Amino acid sequence: MVEKSQVNETLTQAIDGQAVYEVGFHVVPNLSDEAVVAVVEKIRQALGDAEIISEQVPQRMTLAYTIERADSGKREKFTESYFGVIKFATSPDATPALSEKLRGMQDVLRYLLIETVREEVGTPRRAVFSSNRLEGETIKKPVVEEKSKPVSEEDLDKTIEAIVA
Amino acid sequence: MATDSYIPKFQRIDYKDVETLRKFLNPHGKIMSRRRTGLSAANQRALAQAIKRARFMALLPYIVR
Repeated sequence: MVEKSQVNETLTQAIDGQAVYEVGFHVVPNLSDEAVVAVVEKIRQALGDAEIISEQVPQRMTLAYTIERADSGKREKFTESYFGVIKFATSPDATPALSEKLRGMQDVLRYLLIETVREEVGTPRRAVFSSNRLEGETIKKPVVEEKSKPVSEEDLDKTIEAIVA
Repeated sequence: MATDSYIPKFQRIDYKDVETLRKFLNPHGKIMSRRRTGLSAANQRALAQAIKRARFMALLPYIVR
């Protein structure tokens, strides 16, 4: 338990009332590359003076299911989108306003605002060796030589009798 | 199938890591039970949370017929 609380402390890093958030968003697919960049710029502006930690440029992807959206009496269906991510640090009070702005953006199909940690999550896993010293060496089982005691005639007879009986 | 050493800290479970999350879904797209995944309670909760987020963002399907 001690270990876990230490991990939490190092990962959440609340610097003067700020928390780290991540917004993932889908931009509608019927836009040109420049228009997508413009949408990202709009989202960046909506973040205000938040410190941007990392950013993933929206990339075109096929959605796992069709997203339907009712837009001015018409129903739009989307099977593709541009998916991008921005990680930033800001005060928790600023997030409802950001959500409101994102909801109002027609070009943002869907978004997800979550609290996260400053460190990059999902880092590639590496093989961990408990000791590099032992790497590549064959570990031999220690050989214990059993010293055989001289067996007396009586003992031998006893054991034979025990087996036969 | 997987043990806790597979994902050392539950903070590392990310909804965008679809390839990893897929390993914890059955052919119908349902989340595998703890008994099957072999994860700790905390990791299983984090996994379920991540899968649900990925589903909302259409990175994973809700159902596979």
